[in-house]
Amino acid sequence: MRIMLRKGITLHQGTFTAVIAPEQVILSALNDNPDIGRFLTLFVCGNYSRLLTRFRQASPNIELRRPFTADQLLTAIKEAGHTVIIIEHDPTLFDGAERLLAPIAAALREAGREALVILYAPAMDRPFGTLARQADRLIEIMPSDEPGYRQPYQGTRPYRHDAAAPAQKTLEVF
Amino acid sequence: MTQQLPHRKPWRCSDGKRAELPAIVWGGVKGMWILDSVGRDGVDLWYREGSVKCRHYDYDPPFYLWLPDPSAYHEMIDALGEQYRAGTCTFRTLSGDLSGFSVHAGRSVAEAIEQQTCGDAQLFNVDVRRDQRFMAEQRIFPCGETGGSRFSPDFPHDLRQVEIRIHDNPVRSAICTDVRLIHERTEVLQGTGQSVITDLFSLLEAIDPDVILMSQADLWMPRFQRYAGSRGLAMPFSRTGKYRRMDSRSYWSYGRMEHKDAALIPDGRVLIDTDQSFMYREGGLDGVLMAARLSGLSPNLASRFTPGTLISSYEVYEAVRRGIVVPFRKADAEKVRRFADLKEADRGGMMFQPVAGVYGDVDEIDFTSMYPSIIVNSNLSPESLGQTGREGFLASVLRPVVLLRRETKKKRKEDARYAGIDSLLKWMLVTCFGYTGYKNAKFGRIEVHEAITRKSREILMQTKDLAESRGFCVLHGIVDCLWVRGTGIDDLCAEVNRMTGLFVESEHFDWIVFLPLNDGGGAYNRYYGRLSDGSIKVRGIAARRHDTPEYIRAMQQEMLALMATARAPAELGEVRDGVYRVYCNAVRNLPFAPLPSLAISRRISRKTYAHRCIEGAAVRAYRDAGVDISPGMKIRYVVRDARTYRVDPEWTAERFDPSYYRGLLDKAWKEISYAFRWDGNDVCGEWKAQKVLESLHSAGRQEGYMPER
Repeated sequence: MRIMLRKGITLHQGTFTAVIAPEQVILSALNDNPDIGRFLTLFVCGNYSRLLTRFRQASPNIELRRPFTADQLLTAIKEAGHTVIIIEHDPTLFDGAERLLAPIAAALREAGREALVILYAPAMDRPFGTLARQADRLIEIMPSDEPGYRQPYQGTRPYRHDAAAPAQKTLEVF
Repeated sequence: MTQQLPHRKPWRCSDGKRAELPAIVWGGVKGMWILDSVGRDGVDLWYREGSVKCRHYDYDPPFYLWLPDPSAYHEMIDALGEQYRAGTCTFRTLSGDLSGFSVHAGRSVAEAIEQQTCGDAQLFNVDVRRDQRFMAEQRIFPCGETGGSRFSPDFPHDLRQVEIRIHDNPVRSAICTDVRLIHERTEVLQGTGQSVITDLFSLLEAIDPDVILMSQADLWMPRFQRYAGSRGLAMPFSRTGKYRRMDSRSYWSYGRMEHKDAALIPDGRVLIDTDQSFMYREGGLDGVLMAARLSGLSPNLASRFTPGTLISSYEVYEAVRRGIVVPFRKADAEKVRRFADLKEADRGGMMFQPVAGVYGDVDEIDFTSMYPSIIVNSNLSPESLGQTGREGFLASVLRPVVLLRRETKKKRKEDARYAGIDSLLKWMLVTCFGYTGYKNAKFGRIEVHEAITRKSREILMQTKDLAESRGFCVLHGIVDCLWVRGTGIDDLCAEVNRMTGLFVESEHFDWIVFLPLNDGGGAYNRYYGRLSDGSIKVRGIAARRHDTPEYIRAMQQEMLALMATARAPAELGEVRDGVYRVYCNAVRNLPFAPLPSLAISRRISRKTYAHRCIEGAAVRAYRDAGVDISPGMKIRYVVRDARTYRVDPEWTAERFDPSYYRGLLDKAWKEISYAFRWDGNDVCGEWKAQKVLESLHSAGRQEGYMPER
């Protein structure tokens, strides 16, 4: 099992890789890879995922789990028996729960012994840096149009005007 | 006075067998009217028995520990046994019994265990407040006769109250110079700070109140403490001279940043910040006392907590009372699911978009406590979801609150004294649904949250179909409300009640205005209308918004008061000239408006702003004025020049930007004028009010004072 992130950048099973990249890069790597649907895959994201509504793979092999606390994230990683585990990093989970950074990093590394584990973030932040220290590889892909430009992490809301319509079909309760 | 109480453990230890909860009926506690409680080196209960007295109880409850493989941590367990009397026991969690250990230690030890076990350990009852846990185990509660029911809306009390109104601004003044103290009479204290504070302290000492209602108490108390410390005075707010400290904090709540000031909480006396306490503003003293009764917290804390924290505390109290341990961390993640399942389940409440316009004879059908009632009726609880046969924890603890709300909602219509309690219950029940999906909810689960909204969507669709089958026209719907037009509303409500098992009420609008969105469609949450009792109900417009300057709010309220005289859409035409005159007067008088009436009140969400904006400028202005600000704090400012983003804090403002405020006036006017120029197909469809207004406008301009349009 392998995922080609970009030409020349391939992620293999049995590794834990931390990836910083524009959302479009990770989305095209996941959406355009037919292997993702053939293997049992777990997508883990927080409450305000930027990728979830634009993830187009519809295979029944792809499963989802949404932890809303760092403790739940640890549980989700420990309980995952999937071939591919993709974690969309949510820094808000670690507000007041920095104590779990080390156990979660260790759990990611442990899971990466057998599965293909990807920890993804659009930009570097402190919790991500701590988790990535345990990764086999850290890959950072800059936006191609602006070399050297780091994408700032702006909020956690997923809504974008240029994005496809969000999955939710009714309005939120207010 | 110190008393030893037998400690009630959820489960008996050592032999591994479950023990029945001993029914302690302890004479020393029974029959007390508890005013305050303090968990400090045991538990202190302050109670009324003629005067207010204090009784201390030695109480050192353990927390509970479960390990997946205890043998892997045998050294740690041995150390816990030696240092913290750790012993084996079985305890009851929401999802079943667990065999583990009881440890007589505090939170720091619990956190050290977490660290050492790398998150493998599950801990319980670590962060339950000691006094709350004590009262829950003893089945007593604050603010009521302990033999009575917590769920009764009638709890007479003879608490001695005093109200302190401080007219100085705590942000600007370190000391107060103008104070009103209201008890049997009103004392006016004015003068130098020293004399005012000395007099205030003396009066409090003499009156010896049980309850102090004080404006900006949480901001003034640290100043009083500093002043008293520097002058060697004794602060008389606490009956022991001791104060508990609550730290200030900023936090996200329902998508916006909130701020809570640090607080000094006295012993043996209830101190309520009448400006900052949401529960007091909404529910008054009775609301705060009822919150304390339900949650098992001191009224001092109940007045400072949000409705969400109160409902969570109520659930904790109930769990402890039932012998269920409370998890320290929320580690049980959502179950693994497929994408398609998530898309199907993860939706909010149902909304029907209205067609913007003015409608006559409309009924609003409102489900009372819809979400909590769904939890109760459908037995939705984290541990019982998908199971049948036994009532879940959440459903069983919410049932008495839902019933109590129905009772108070009915009673408040006849007796205004129940309004505060009803308001408190409303807020607690509103938040109980959100808490099922909240990340820190002790007894929440996202699947329960989704099940509730799914059921609510079904109910609203069923109700819509039923209404339409009976000839009603459904104009609008928001989650738990429907606006319909037709005849036989009482029969419809009765049928909905029978069909859904939920309690519904209706309100009749003589006319209602659904405002448009920019794209011309109807706005979901911006409307106003005249109820059959002659009052006006508004939602989402300037008169209702918190950040509207008082000058503009007053203008819109005056317009609405005029419109309230119209009993039907057709009669609105008779008041349109008067309403327009209100607008013209407001525009004409704008240059002379008092500056405080133009202050905009906002809650800031951050301390630094990347882009130039009015809010960012206001934060800078506050900082320049020497005010320490935190995210979530409320600020009040006057816009001096919107074009160059210049604003002033309310107290330093000397001039304002007329064109900016004119823009706000026009916006508020637009919301009202829509009712006159709407030319749809309804009874008021043929109006050409706009033309009339325009002719008025041009006439006015000739006189030289009418506003630009």
